[in-house]
Formats: sequence, structure tokens, C-alpha cells
Amino acid sequence: MSETRRMGRPECDEVLNELEELKAEELNSGEVLGALTGGSKRHAVGCEDCRSAVDDFVTTREALWPMRAMALEAGPWFAARVMADVRAAENEIEEKKEGLWISVRRLAPRLVAFAALLLVLGGTWAMELRRRESATGQVEVRQAEGLFENAPSAQLNDDILATAAEGTRP
Amino acid sequence: MPEPATEGRAETGEVRQEADRELVRRAQQGDKQAFEVLVRKHQGRVFAVAGGILHSREDVEDIAQQVFLKAYFSIKRFDQRAAFSTWLYKITVNECWDLLRKRKVRPLMYEADLSEEQAHTYQSREAGGEDALDVSQQLETRQQVEQWLDCLDEKDRTMLVLKEVQGFTVEEIAGIMGLNGNTVKVRLFRARQRVAERIRRKKRAAGV
Repeated sequence: MSETRRMGRPECDEVLNELEELKAEELNSGEVLGALTGGSKRHAVGCEDCRSAVDDFVTTREALWPMRAMALEAGPWFAARVMADVRAAENEIEEKKEGLWISVRRLAPRLVAFAALLLVLGGTWAMELRRRESATGQVEVRQAEGLFENAPSAQLNDDILATAAEGTRP
Repeated sequence: MPEPATEGRAETGEVRQEADRELVRRAQQGDKQAFEVLVRKHQGRVFAVAGGILHSREDVEDIAQQVFLKAYFSIKRFDQRAAFSTWLYKITVNECWDLLRKRKVRPLMYEADLSEEQAHTYQSREAGGEDALDVSQQLETRQQVEQWLDCLDEKDRTMLVLKEVQGFTVEEIAGIMGLNGNTVKVRLFRARQRVAERIRRKKRAAGV
């Protein structure tokens, strides 16, 4: 982390760490200095940076002190109100879930009618398709049969060729 | 003002976390009572965190409610690798930032934002203690603090308020913001420098 307090010496860091640990009651700079441990106190007295850090610390604490007296407190009814809110929110969620189920039930007859219509249309279409397929199948079979019936047999051709060959022989 | 640990101050952090883990396990199995106990345990700090960012009581209440609703519906996905509190405060901070992003302005606290109960508290403080301030003075002070914090970006501001106003530790803030401890310390240090410089400049300008 690049953030530092730019005080430099480890003794200064120690003073600052101790300042952060001080109880809120130690208010004026004399009391703050008195609350530091021996080494830190001696250092803080002689170090200009630390003295100004202690001054800033005390000035800020004194400035913010009145805010403590104005802190807001929860009323005795607060927890009960939170729990009532929790129950209301849960009921709302339940109602939403039930609302979804109610609308599904309300739509059920329409859904059934729609499904029946789809079934009839699909069935009709499938039957029609099957009828058409079987009709085209019969035509194809008939055409194929005709082809084989009219085709000359290989034996007959051989006979013709044999007869022709016999006729040309000396 | 809410204490950092609103309930069971005698409990150690470990014991509290173990108790939370058990409650989370039960809540994950659908035990609403366990979740309600979690709400009661953590509502104070969720309010404190949201209050440090948002200020208007209505916004803070709305956000806190939203946070717990979100937590309830996503608790089954929470794997307990981090503490439940860290996870919850992280949701809180993100919800607050989302709201601010939607509005694009940081709302200040106005007198109308004070509940009757708060106004009464302030009035009785005024009557009772020498440190007490009246409501308008409180609001003035709050607006002044807001002006001083205006020089910070949302993250730095949140960190500073969590640290100085709500009393979170650096480790807790690191967990909530998803940063490492060193980065939080550095950013706090710089944020303090900027705020202190601003305060000094204003004081010099005012001739104090």
C-alpha cells in the first residue's frame, strides 16, 4: 500500500499508533500526552511532527465531541417494528407466490382448450401427411412394376443375337 | 448517547461474538425470536453508525429498519467468517451511502428533525447540567461540525465519525469499510490533519 503518514521515524509511527488506541475520554493535549507510554511521550515532546499530530488529534476530538451528545437512539418499539416489517415482507412474498399459482389456476381452462386445439390440429396434419405419403407410395410402386413388366428379358435378346449370328454364317 | 456496547457491557468481546454466532445459526434455521434478539442487541450501534452519517432521525430510522430487513433476508448467505456486528455495520454504512448518493446532498440536521423525546432530553440537560446546551445551540454546533467535516470525502468522514463519535476501534472500522488497519490509520491521520487545519483557519479568520 503506497499510503503512509509521511512522518518517517518508527518512533513517530509508534506515537500515532498509540494515539489511535486512546480512549475517547482523554481529551486535552496534556491528558493525551500523559496517556502515552514513557518512550512515546518523551519522543512526542521533542518531535515537532508528533506534537502537531497530537494537536490535530486533540483539536478534532474536541470539535467532534458535541456530536456524541446528539447521537440518536433506537426507540423501545424499534425491534417490534422491525419484526412486524419482516412478517409483512414474508407475507408479501407468500402472496406473490400464491398469486402466481392463482393466475395459473385461472388460466387452466384456457390452457386446456388451447392444448386440445393444438392436439386436433396436429393430429389432422399428421393424418393428412400420412395419407399423402401412402398415396405417392402406391403410385411409385405401380410405376416401378410397369417398368419391369415391359422390359425385354436378357434371354430374348440373346435369342435375337443368336438368330442374327446364325443368319450371317456361310 | 448509545454506549459502544449497548447490552451486556460486562460480556467480553469473545463471549458476545459466540452468543451472536449461536443466534445467527438459529436465525439461519428460521428462528425469528433469535433474530429479534440480534436486533435488540445491535440496534443501538446501527442507529449510532447511521446517525453519524445521516443525522435526520427519520432517515436514520428508515435506514436502520432497512438494514435489519436486508440482514434478515440474507442471513442464510452469511457464512460467519466475519463477526455478525461487522457484517451488519457494513450493510448500514452501504445503505447510508446509497441514500446519500440518491440524494446527492448531505442532509443537515434541522430543528424539525428532532423528535419530541430528543428535544425534551436536550431541554432537561439544559436545566440540569452546566455542560448542557439548548436545542438551538446543539443544532448550531452540529452544523458547525458538519462544515468542518465538509472538507472530507464520504469515506474519510465516516471513518472519523465512527472513530471519534461512536468509539469504534481501528480494527472494527477496517472490517466495516473493507480496508486494512494500516490504511484506516493513515486515512484517519490525514482526515484529522485536514479538519484541524480547517478549524484553525476558521478560528484565525474569526480572530479567536
